[in-house]
Amino acid sequence: MTTIVGIRTKDGVVLGSDKRASKGFFIGSKIVQKIAKVDETLAVAIAGQLSDAEYIVKVAKAERRLMELRRGFSLTVRESARLIANIAYSGLRNYQPYYVELLVAGVDRHGSYVYSADMSGAITEEDFASSGSGSPIAYGVLESLYTKEVTNQQAKEIASRAVAAAMERDPGSGNGIDLLAIPNLTEEVTT
Amino acid sequence: MSESSPHSNNRFPFYGPQGRLVLVDSALEAVSRGSTTIGIRTAKFAMISSQIKPTHPLIEPSEKIFSIDFHAGATGSGYIGDILQLIDTLRLEAQRHRLTYETPIDIDSLAKHLSTFLHNYTTYAVRPQAASIILSGIDQTGIQLYQVDPSGTFFRGSGFAIGQSSETALDVITKEYSADMTQEQAINLGKKAIEKALGEVPIVETGIVTHKEDGFHKLPLEKALSSKP
Repeated sequence: MTTIVGIRTKDGVVLGSDKRASKGFFIGSKIVQKIAKVDETLAVAIAGQLSDAEYIVKVAKAERRLMELRRGFSLTVRESARLIANIAYSGLRNYQPYYVELLVAGVDRHGSYVYSADMSGAITEEDFASSGSGSPIAYGVLESLYTKEVTNQQAKEIASRAVAAAMERDPGSGNGIDLLAIPNLTEEVTT
Repeated sequence: MSESSPHSNNRFPFYGPQGRLVLVDSALEAVSRGSTTIGIRTAKFAMISSQIKPTHPLIEPSEKIFSIDFHAGATGSGYIGDILQLIDTLRLEAQRHRLTYETPIDIDSLAKHLSTFLHNYTTYAVRPQAASIILSGIDQTGIQLYQVDPSGTFFRGSGFAIGQSSETALDVITKEYSADMTQEQAINLGKKAIEKALGEVPIVETGIVTHKEDGFHKLPLEKALSSKP
């Protein structure tokens, strides 16, 4: 169930999600937050088992903070995505997979990035990505509207339209849209 | 072949003749030769400060003030390797708490954890950690300041000094401390205390905890360091 989208723009990243939690054919909640901020520069959009995803995000938060304290500067988006994928992969290898498909999006001193990470432990870097039961519909909108030149403002509109389209036709998605935009780091913040 | 009688001298020397823990005493002795380090607390803020020993011009001196989490910071005196080990233990515990409860750890729990960790080294035939830690932070109960010693003993208070000539430094702080002093005054008092203890103008690194959003932060190192060619 769920529809989540992530878009990389020239001035940051944008994440979008619906707000429905399904319990079989029943709507378990209409106000679920599927976008979790890890910190000011990294966020994760969640599809799949919410408890599994919450756990992974919590561990990622702690590990990222520890690493920042230990080495003095924070993890890049790719390092963070790899960290999350490693947790997912260890679950898979122990026959207790985390039922998640995550979009890891953020900014670092190199630029802005969107990664797709699934329960197999694989990560792929994308310009835009979608996940969850509504993703085929969302992808239709993203494929037709996305260009490399979009700004965060435009990407918010595109993400919102993609999730809205999925909510119209996918019974697993609905009850409103959440959006999160993270702007690129400016030079003085980078140091 | 001698039996282990109370008087045989190949027993591991936990207790000395006076009933003191010999290894812990040695660790404390090592701490008392470390760089002079102080902590001052009022209801509004806490300040920790440590002397940086000048090294060779081509070698950067070790960091002495450490961020433990957003809301807590620590410094120490003794062997720097031991200090770093204890700092990492504190950082790990802070994140473990966040993982379990999703809240920042309170400073008392941090101090108790460090105390337990250090105490472990006093019960086995191992080397106790030769480092005392001054821990500061903010939690639900306000601004906190702790000192934790190699024995595992810990104190809560408003003024601490450890390391070389710490008695002199603590005397200065005790005499001039006031509960309504400003951050500026505390920083100057810290500098003065360390200067009195060492008999020279020291280079110090300083960290501050306040009620503000950013909690703990380090103050930028003074120019004194970089002025040398």
